[in-house]
Amino acid sequence: MRTEAVTGEAAGATSQDVAPLLRIDGLAKRFGSLQALADVSLALMPGEVHCLLGENGAGKSTLCNLVFGVHSPDAGQMVLDGAPYTPRSPADALNHGIAMVHQHFSLVPDLTVVDNMLLGQSRGVLDRKACAARLETMRERYGLALDPYARIQDLSVGERQRVEIVKCLVREPRLLVLDEPTAVLLPAEIEALLAVCERVAAQGCGVVLVTHKLAEIRLVARRATVLRGGRVVARSDAPAQEIDLLVRAMIQRDLQAPASPLTPERAVKQVAHETLPPREMALLADGLTVRDADGVLRLDNFTLMVAPGEIVAVAGVEGNGQSELGAVLSGMLKPTEGRFHIFGVEMTGQSPKTLTAAGCGVVPEDRHALACVTGMNVAENMMLDRLGRYKKYGLLDREALNRAARDLMQRFDVRAAGPEVAFGGLSGGNQQKAVLARELTLDPLRFLLAAQPTRGLDVGAVEAIYGHIRAVAARGVGVLLISSELEELLAVADRIVVLYRGRLMGSCKADPAERPRIGAWMAGQETLSTAPEEALA
Amino acid sequence: MSTALTLWRSVRPGPALGMSVAAVALALLIGALMVALMGVPVGEAVAAFADGAWGSPYALAASINRALVFMLVGLGFVLAERANLTNVGGEGQIAVGGIAATAFALWPPVAGLPFGLAFIVPMLGACVAGALWGGIAGVLKVKAGTNEVIATLLLSFIAVWMVYGSVQSEQLLRRPMTTSATLPESLEIPLATQLPLLLGDASVPLHAGLPIGLVFAVVVAVVLGFTVLGLRLRATGLNARAARRAGMAVDRLTVGVLCAAGALGGLAGACMLQGEQYTLKAGFSSGYGFDGLVVGLLARGSVPGVIAGSLLFGFLRSGGINMEMVAQVPTALVVVIQGLIIVILAGAALAIQRMEARR
Amino acid sequence: MIEPELAAVFVGSSIRLAAPLLLAATGELVSERAGVLNMSVEGMMLTGAFAGAVGSWATGSPVIGLALGVLCVLPVAWLQAFLSITLRANQIVTGIGINILVLGATTLGYRALFGGRSRAEIPGLDKWAPPGLADIPILGEHVFHQTWLLYAAVLLVIGVAWVMRSTSLGLALHAAGTAPQAAANSGLKVTRIRYGAVLFTGFMSALAGCFLSIGDIHTFTEGMTSGAGYLAIAAVIFGNWKLGRTLLACGLFGAATALQFQLPAMGVQVPSALLIMLPYVLALLAVGGLVGRQIAPAALTRPYTGH
Repeated sequence: MRTEAVTGEAAGATSQDVAPLLRIDGLAKRFGSLQALADVSLALMPGEVHCLLGENGAGKSTLCNLVFGVHSPDAGQMVLDGAPYTPRSPADALNHGIAMVHQHFSLVPDLTVVDNMLLGQSRGVLDRKACAARLETMRERYGLALDPYARIQDLSVGERQRVEIVKCLVREPRLLVLDEPTAVLLPAEIEALLAVCERVAAQGCGVVLVTHKLAEIRLVARRATVLRGGRVVARSDAPAQEIDLLVRAMIQRDLQAPASPLTPERAVKQVAHETLPPREMALLADGLTVRDADGVLRLDNFTLMVAPGEIVAVAGVEGNGQSELGAVLSGMLKPTEGRFHIFGVEMTGQSPKTLTAAGCGVVPEDRHALACVTGMNVAENMMLDRLGRYKKYGLLDREALNRAARDLMQRFDVRAAGPEVAFGGLSGGNQQKAVLARELTLDPLRFLLAAQPTRGLDVGAVEAIYGHIRAVAARGVGVLLISSELEELLAVADRIVVLYRGRLMGSCKADPAERPRIGAWMAGQETLSTAPEEALA
Repeated sequence: MSTALTLWRSVRPGPALGMSVAAVALALLIGALMVALMGVPVGEAVAAFADGAWGSPYALAASINRALVFMLVGLGFVLAERANLTNVGGEGQIAVGGIAATAFALWPPVAGLPFGLAFIVPMLGACVAGALWGGIAGVLKVKAGTNEVIATLLLSFIAVWMVYGSVQSEQLLRRPMTTSATLPESLEIPLATQLPLLLGDASVPLHAGLPIGLVFAVVVAVVLGFTVLGLRLRATGLNARAARRAGMAVDRLTVGVLCAAGALGGLAGACMLQGEQYTLKAGFSSGYGFDGLVVGLLARGSVPGVIAGSLLFGFLRSGGINMEMVAQVPTALVVVIQGLIIVILAGAALAIQRMEARR
Repeated sequence: MIEPELAAVFVGSSIRLAAPLLLAATGELVSERAGVLNMSVEGMMLTGAFAGAVGSWATGSPVIGLALGVLCVLPVAWLQAFLSITLRANQIVTGIGINILVLGATTLGYRALFGGRSRAEIPGLDKWAPPGLADIPILGEHVFHQTWLLYAAVLLVIGVAWVMRSTSLGLALHAAGTAPQAAANSGLKVTRIRYGAVLFTGFMSALAGCFLSIGDIHTFTEGMTSGAGYLAIAAVIFGNWKLGRTLLACGLFGAATALQFQLPAMGVQVPSALLIMLPYVLALLAVGGLVGRQIAPAALTRPYTGH
C-alpha cells in the first residue's frame, strides 16, 4: 500500500509470487527537443487491471506506443514473459499477443464492422459470414453486442469503442492496452466497458487502462501508476482507497517541494458582482454547449460571469471541455448552443478579428497550432495581428517592427538573440512569453483568456507570466484562466470553477482551504453545494 | 541597415540553389550522353545549341522573348506558392490571355486609341481574363475546399480547347474564309496593337513586353519580401489557422493571390500574341505553361531564381530548335532534359528541406 | 430520326474510344484508393503505346508487343512509386515531370527507330466478337466487333471490382488510402500496398496505351495519348472514386469524343471544341462539389510516414 514519489528505481516487487507479464525497465523516448519519457519502469501483471494515470502530455500515449511497437525506445528494455521484447511495428506486437485499443486511428470509418474486423486478419477471399459468427461468440463471452454489417461512421462512439475492443479480443491477446477508452463514453457505456475489462482480466489477460478520469479507477483498478512529465511519480496497490493522493500526484509539480513558489500577494478579492449589470461584465457566458462531430457532448451548458479586474480560473484535469471552451471564446469554434458577451456585446461566432478589435486577448493552449507561425521570426510573430501598423511609404518598415518587438521583448523578458531570430528557435517559456506579450498589449484590452499558459514552463517563466496577468487584472481587465495546475490557480485566481466532462461542477473562492472540495469536483464527485447561485458566486 | 540584410538574405545562395544547379548540371550531362548515343558528335550539337540560344542578336532576342513568357508564369507560380498554393494552370492562363488580347486587339475602336493604349488595353484585357481564370480555382478552394492543383489543371485543359474553339468559328475569332484553304486562325492584329519593338529593328525583335515584365518581376519581389501583404501571404501559407486567429482575411488572400498568378499568366499570353505571333492559332501556348511551371518550381520561391530559370529555359528552347535544324538532334531531347530536372529536384525535395532546416 | 446504322456506329465508336480510358481509369482508381495520386498516367500510357508499337513492329506479333509494353512500363511506374512513396516528393510535381520525361523519351525513340516516317505500319491486334452477338444485323458489326483487348479489358475491370469488394487485398487497399494509420495498426504494410497499387496502375495504363497504338490505330505518333491520361484522372474524380461511376464517366467521355465525328455526319453543327472540352468541364463541376459531395480517399496525396 505505497503511494509515494518514486526515484527511478526498478518497479517495486509485488508481494505475490506471480511473475509479471510485461516488465518495463528504464524506458526513455525523445521526440526532437521533447523528452516524452524518462526512466520509466513498471510491472504489468496478468489477470488484473492496471491503471496508467496522467494528464495530457504526461507520456501515457508514448508509453503505449512503445509497448505496441509504433516507436522504438531510446533507452531501457521490455521483458515479456521472461523474454526480451523489442517490437518493430504493430504487426510485431500483435504477433506477441499484445493488442491495443486506440483513441483514434484504428477503424476505417466507411467500412462495416465485419470488414474492420477482417482488416489485416484474413487472406484471400473474405469470409464475412464466418466473421459475423465470431462476433456472436464474442457477444456471449464478453457481453459486447454489435451489428456486424453496420458501417463504423454510423455507429455511436460507444459502439465504435466496442468494435475496437472486439477487434483486439478476437486475437486472444495476453495483454490488452486501452488508451483513454472512456474519454468519449456515456456513463452507462463506461460501466459496461469497465465490466468488460474485469471479465477480460478474469480470463487471465493483463489489462492496462490508460486514463485521466478518476471516478472510474475506483471501480476496477487493482493497481495504478501515475506519470507526470514523462516520469513515474507515484504507484499504488490499492488505488480505490488513495484517489485523492493520486490526483495530487497527477497535477502537482513536485510532491516534495513546498506547495507553490507563488506567494498569494493579495487577499482574495471580494468582487460584489451581484451588483454589476450584465453589460459591464467582462465576460458573460450563457449556456455554452459544444457537441463534436460524433455528437458527443464536450461542453455542457456552461454559464459563467467574469467581472472586470477579476481573475476566474477554470480548473480540472485536461480533456474535460477546457479546449472546447477556449476555442469558443477565441472565435475559432461556433458553439452548438449558447452565447457569450464581452462587456455587453454579443460575440458568439464572431471572427477572431472582431474579437480582437473588441479587446479580447487569447493565449491559446496549443500555441503552435493557433498562436504563432513557427517559420517566421520573433518580431513578425509578436506583431502578427498588427503588422499593418508598420508601414513606411507603403512598404513594410522592418526597423519600426523590430524596434517595437525589442521593446516588448524587454518588457516581457522574452529572451532571444534578437527580434529577427526564428521563432521556432526560442525555448517554450520564451515563446509563451512572446505570445502573452502580444495579447497583453492589445489596445484596448478588456478581457483575457489564457488556456494552459504555463504548460511545460520552468518556475521562473511561470512567475513572470502570472505577474503580467495580475498586473493586467489590476488595470481592470477581466481574466479567465484555464489550467490544470491547481496550486498555481489557488495562488493567482480570485475564484475557481471546475469542469468535469464539460459540466461546471462547482465554484468557490480561491482559498487553499477549499482544496478538498475542488479535488472532489475534479474527480467528478458532486458535493452538496452545487446550487446554481453558488456556481456564480 | 535591416532592409539591406533582408535583401541579402533573400538572394543569398543556400543549399536549395546548389541542388538546383546540380540537378540542371546532371540533366545536361545525361542529355549530352544521349546525344553521343545518337551518333551525333557532342561538340557539334553543343555548338548548334549555343548558336541557336545566343549566337546572334536575333537568337538572343528570341531566347529572351521566350524567357519572358516563362518568367511571367514562374512569377505567378512563386507568388501563389508563398501562400502554399500550387498553381499549375499556367498553360490555361496563357491561353485565355491570348484569347482576350486577340479579341481586344481586333476590336476596331482599340486600334485607334492614342498614347500606346492600343497595345496596353489588350494587355490589360489579357490580365483580367487570366485573373478570372485563376480566381475560379481560388473560389473553388475557399468555398468547396477543392484542391487547387486539380482545379487549375482542369481549367488549363478547358482553356486550351477554348482557344481551339475560338479560331474555328467566324462568329468568334476566326478570320473570314476566303478560300477553302484558309487556316483556322485569327486575323493578324493591327500594327497599333502589336507591342512596339524596343530597338525598332525587326532583326532584334525585343519588344515592349520585356520592360513591362521586368517591372512586374520587381513588383512581385517587393511584395514578397518588403510588404505587409507578403508577410500575410507567408503566414497564410505556413499556418492558415494562426493567420486567421491573428485577424488576417485568409479567404480573400487565397482568392486574391490565385487571381494575381492568373493575371501574370494572362499577361504572358498577351506578350506571346502581341509581341511575336500577331495571330491567334490553336495550340499557340503549347508547352509554355508547363515550362513556366517548372521554372517556378526550380526557383524555390525566389524572384532572381525565376529570372535565372526562365533564361535557362529560354536558351534551352531556342538552342534546342537550332540543334534540330543544324545537328539533327530532335527537340525532344530538350524535353527529356526538362523532365529529368523536374524529377531529380522533386526527388531531392526532402533532402533539401532537411538541409534548409539545419541552416 | 436517326438511322439505326448511324446509331450503331456511334455506340461502337463510343465503346472503342472509351476503352483506353476504361483501362487507365481503373488502374488509376486503384492507386488513388490506396492514397497515391498518379499524375503520370499519361506518361505510363505513352510508354505502353510506344513499347507496344515497337515490339509489334519488330517481331511482327502484336501480342509480343503487348507484353513489351507492359514490361517497359514497370520502371516508369516504379519511379513514380519510389519518388512519391519513399522519397515523399510532391505527387503532382513528380507525375508531371515523368509525363514530360516520357514524352521526350518516346519521341526521341520514335525518331531513332522509325526515322522521319510519320506513320509506320504496325501489325495490330485482331478484332473479335462474342459468338452470336456479331451476327446481329447492323448492331453486330459495329458494336460488337472490337479489338479483343477490349473484351479482355472488360474482364479485367470485373476482376478488379471483385478483388476490391471481396478479398482481403481490396480491403487493405481501401484502408491504405482512407485510414493508413488504422491499416498500420491492424498489422498491414502501407508502403508495400501503395507500391503495388502504383505498379498495377502502370500495368493498366500500358494496356491502355497499347490499345491506342496496336489495338485501335495500328500506328504510333508522337505524343499520341494527347491528354487521355489526364482524362482518366478526371474520370476517377468525376466517378467520386467508385468504380461503377468511374466507368460511367469513361463511357460519357468516350461518347463525347465520338460525338465529334458523329454530329457532323448527322448534319448537326456543334463546335468540336465544346465536345472535347466537355469531359474536363464535367470533372471540374464534380471537383467543385457541384454534382454531389466529393468524398476523396482521406489520405489521398498525403505521404505516409511510417512503415
